[in-house]
Amino acid sequence: MSSLDQRLHELGRELAFPPEPNLAPTVLARIDRRPFPWRRAAPAFALAAIALGAALAVPQARSALERWFHLGGATVVRVETLPPAVERSQAGGLGRPVAVAEAERRLGFPLELPPLHGAPRVYMVGDSLSTVVLRAHGTTVLLSEFDSYGEQALKKLAIRGTIVEPAEVRGAQGLWIEGSPHTLSWIDRDTGYRERPIVIHGNVLLWLHGGLTLRLEGRLTKAQALDIARTVR
Amino acid sequence: MVDRPLDEAELVERARRGDLEAWETLVRAYQGIAFRTAYLLAGNAADAEEAAQDGFLKAYRAVGRFRRGSPLKPWLLRIVANEARNRRRSTGRRELLALRAAAEVRPGDAVPSPEAALLAREEQAHLLAAVEALGEDHRDVVACRYFLGLGEDETAAVLGIRAGTVKSRLARALARLRERLEVEE
Repeated sequence: MSSLDQRLHELGRELAFPPEPNLAPTVLARIDRRPFPWRRAAPAFALAAIALGAALAVPQARSALERWFHLGGATVVRVETLPPAVERSQAGGLGRPVAVAEAERRLGFPLELPPLHGAPRVYMVGDSLSTVVLRAHGTTVLLSEFDSYGEQALKKLAIRGTIVEPAEVRGAQGLWIEGSPHTLSWIDRDTGYRERPIVIHGNVLLWLHGGLTLRLEGRLTKAQALDIARTVR
Repeated sequence: MVDRPLDEAELVERARRGDLEAWETLVRAYQGIAFRTAYLLAGNAADAEEAAQDGFLKAYRAVGRFRRGSPLKPWLLRIVANEARNRRRSTGRRELLALRAAAEVRPGDAVPSPEAALLAREEQAHLLAAVEALGEDHRDVVACRYFLGLGEDETAAVLGIRAGTVKSRLARALARLRERLEVEE
């Protein structure tokens, strides 16, 4: 142990911290006692039930649920009819533009990006979902990143005609979603359950990248999406 | 049947099901380290208390998404740290850290001679001033590792950076401290 190392440890023991407040009563008093969506499910089935709940919350989708796919912080549910959802242009409705450092601070992890020319354009919705706007293969591509530690951070509903198939990015699991429109909704990490379905017309590649779940959206073929995904570091 | 204290995983499981008593036990267990973390990052007691409180509240709301089997402490501290740094950024108010009053001798401490005590005190004050003069990123890593006693992985989780970044920032911070202390000496 270097002398400086030792001196810093000793310094830590000599710091004057203010008296420790008793936080428990105030925290408990502030807790909203309404049940959260995830508490409706028995823990053993929580994962499945949340995905199921997402579909059943939509009247048109009742009795039409076929199956769901789970990947990191995302779940894809196949349904017969999509819920009413907000239409957005590909690059619209992504949230507010923020600097990379601001996005990383709010997300709590550094953004993983493909090689870029210049500073990336980053948008954020809440504190959980960031989207980087890229140009690749002559089209605009959106790269969203969220922490896989939050189960079910993002949900997708896909209808029968949509292809949902496994994919692999540098040895990590992924899902390729192609074809008919599907919806995207998300759960904010800090503010709890918040759902806002958005219709997606492009194709989507979801894959695991370390502790993150990444999502690439654009009018790309599977091969093109995989090409971009492999360059993300 | 003998009651036994619940372990952390059981408490988290109960909290996920809405058991407020379980969450209260967890808050009590971690409020000390959470408050100290918030204090070091936010820089004043009032903001630290608010950040720790908000952090525990947000963590409760997010506990359904906490990954089972992961350590709770870094996850909780990360939420609290985010709250604290948001406040530091918005208020721009940070008081300088201080040493405990000299009279506060901890039980078990050997009592040094008055001259030695004075010298040690001055050296600590110099070192503390040098830490305070570091850039925010370096100071945060030093505070997590040495003042909170967090491990490398815990520091990475709390500050939302990679373990490799913790290592490199710490190495740079220590190099700067050495330079500064050499200049002073």
